[in-house]
Amino acid sequence: MEPTLLEFKNIDFSYPHHGKNEPSVEFATSGNRLAAQKTLCNVGFNIERGERVVLLGANGSGKSTLAKLANGLLLPTDGQVVVDGISSWQHDYLLELRKNVGLVTQDPDNQIVSTTVFDEVAFGPQNLGWKPKRIYETVSQSLEHVGLSEDVYAGRDPNSLSGGEKQRVVIAALLAMQPNYLVLDEPTSMLDPAARMQVLKAIASAAKRGQGILHITHRLEEAVKADRVLILYRGRLCYNGKPEDILGNKEALIRFGLRAQLHVRRASEVAEPIKHSSLTLSDVSFSYPNSPSKLPVFEDMNLELKAGECHLLVGASGSGKSTLLTLAAGLAKPSKGTVLLDDNTPLPGEVGLVFQHPESQLFAQTIKEDILFGPRNLGMQVEEAGDALVNRVLTLVGLDPDKFRHRSPFSLSGGEARRVAIATVLALGTDFFLLDEPTAGLDARGRVFIFELLQSLLAKGKGIMVATHDPEFFLPLATGRREL
Amino acid sequence: MAIPLPFGNYLARNTAIHRIDARVKLLLVVMYVYALFACSTWAGLLAALCILGVLFIVACIPVRMALRGLKPIFFILVFTFLANALTFSASETALVAGHMAVGAVPLDNATAEAMQTAYAEERYQLLSLPFVGQVFFLDLPQSVPLIGSFGIKPLGIIKGLYFVLRISLLVLTTSLLTYTTSIVSLTDAISKLLAPLRAFKVPVEDIAMVFTIALRFIPLTASEAEKLMVAQSARGATFNQGGLVKRAKAWIPVMIPLFVNLFRRADHLAQAMESRCYVGRGRTQLAHSRIKGTDICWAVIGSAVLIAIGIFL
Repeated sequence: MEPTLLEFKNIDFSYPHHGKNEPSVEFATSGNRLAAQKTLCNVGFNIERGERVVLLGANGSGKSTLAKLANGLLLPTDGQVVVDGISSWQHDYLLELRKNVGLVTQDPDNQIVSTTVFDEVAFGPQNLGWKPKRIYETVSQSLEHVGLSEDVYAGRDPNSLSGGEKQRVVIAALLAMQPNYLVLDEPTSMLDPAARMQVLKAIASAAKRGQGILHITHRLEEAVKADRVLILYRGRLCYNGKPEDILGNKEALIRFGLRAQLHVRRASEVAEPIKHSSLTLSDVSFSYPNSPSKLPVFEDMNLELKAGECHLLVGASGSGKSTLLTLAAGLAKPSKGTVLLDDNTPLPGEVGLVFQHPESQLFAQTIKEDILFGPRNLGMQVEEAGDALVNRVLTLVGLDPDKFRHRSPFSLSGGEARRVAIATVLALGTDFFLLDEPTAGLDARGRVFIFELLQSLLAKGKGIMVATHDPEFFLPLATGRREL
Repeated sequence: MAIPLPFGNYLARNTAIHRIDARVKLLLVVMYVYALFACSTWAGLLAALCILGVLFIVACIPVRMALRGLKPIFFILVFTFLANALTFSASETALVAGHMAVGAVPLDNATAEAMQTAYAEERYQLLSLPFVGQVFFLDLPQSVPLIGSFGIKPLGIIKGLYFVLRISLLVLTTSLLTYTTSIVSLTDAISKLLAPLRAFKVPVEDIAMVFTIALRFIPLTASEAEKLMVAQSARGATFNQGGLVKRAKAWIPVMIPLFVNLFRRADHLAQAMESRCYVGRGRTQLAHSRIKGTDICWAVIGSAVLIAIGIFL
């Protein structure tokens, strides 16, 4: 009988260009340079059908590389991935691997090809050349498995779906190919809590139907119900066992970058002189001018943020959090009511606004130029004071100015890019900062960095508003909370 | 700051027109365009106008929306009209003889002779005016000078109106198509109609896939551009101040990240397609919409009427 296992056999992997752009300073000290350049080193484990395995790892641990190896998008430098006994020297190995191992990644928008939900779910089976009758059957079945009714969703345009619905369509599209294994690479990292629950439910039910699941994440809470937990740390498999044996081990989790110690401090920083003392929204209503329904996003909103305060803005995706921040920063006009910074309507640039995934707006040739873009627009004389300003904000976000100032913003890792993007807004020197989901997609250390940054801004007397799905995390800082 | 999209004016309704198969609709649009150019009389044009009017009413499209399609070609229409109605070589000598006839109705001898004489005497210039009726003599000057040799041609006004109506109908029929057919079924139809080209090694499936992906990502890219604009204005960027060069430069902080993200997205998408076994060949073709009896009726009757207009009017 053929083995029913997805086997990762002693996998080594290194990117061909790795180390050219970023001399691995932190690894150089470890002595073994060759090993240090490997993205994955001697990784071996199995997944059985029906088993739900959660692989934990911090940003940069090699998780996503592993996901691509599982599906044959990358081939290992050494070792191999064997699916149900089919190994890499067999004919049609890649096709068999892709047929048997479905891959779901973070952003559903990067995975949906078609213009209707039906076409999307049928895409894989069509590629496999199945008979139309079989395709119609598998499409309606897989939509049902992820909890989307075929009658309602089949004809919908993916662009009109919510994030959670889109990700479930992606999962349905893979289930439709009836793979024996599913590999999910941070499938919930861009979703709000409600949508995350739906996606986790869809994953759990796939395991119940006998599919082997490899769920890759950096969120510990998603590992609690797993059959088995793997931990990947700097390209090496460091744990392979039951969740209860590791999730309580705080030191180990900190060592693997899966937890980080929060240091809640008393105000130790010197307060900076503040030009504005309050940001007030009175009776603000807003509806999109082009929306056919003219339904207001929110009505008669009142909010007062004082210097040195931190307000949390909580609500599901689409509840208007981002819109509210845009209004508060003076970038859009409310349909009704007023937004006042002290006594005037804020001008663009007078209130710092950090959007969701701000790293996607970096554009200049060097980090320095990107940081100075805002101050220049506001007419500051940056030529003399520019370097000092760049140094100050880079230090504030925990990056070494000498190392980073002249680098291209496009050469950074995800976490570094997030820090630089925040620095570009800090450089405006405003008294109020509004942040939209600043921790989205960050691992434990990244989240702690955001927490500590906000803490030091508050200590300097700045006012802060954070829109977040994760209010508990910011609770120690919060002075106010608003549900939308 | 919404960026208008070049398409997406589909009005989701459930009318007889909406339900016609997109392939049939495409065929009928082609036939309609043929009729517009093949007919040479006002009668034909007015018949085409009536047909389109009725279709717009059946499809429940408000007049205001129907006429919206003419807005972008407004200046072309005005120019067409003026180019026909005005002349730079006006003189008062010749007058106009009109020949009113339905299509190719033969003239009887007497009328033909009368026209020949009039024409020979150079009192009248012979013009065939496509209209219903018989021979008539108008004491209309061929042109009326206004300033120097610049003047208007009374008959040119009628001719100009004829062209304006023809162009308008051409545009309106395509708006009827896009108002009643979703862009998805339209691309689907185009790729199905192109299918015979497969025999000539035209990569029809690939072309269809390119269209589909473009359709999926254009709205996404537009909303991304919008987000980037807001994000950069939060850093004090302005997009509508200063001269041309300054304005163009202001878009750099939007365009660069937009393209970087787009390439990144393309990369991810290619991987997602590859991991789902897409190789571009050997795909099952699903017949989404079968051509129904009513579709065939529309195709046959519609084509017949339009061909008749083209030939006889």
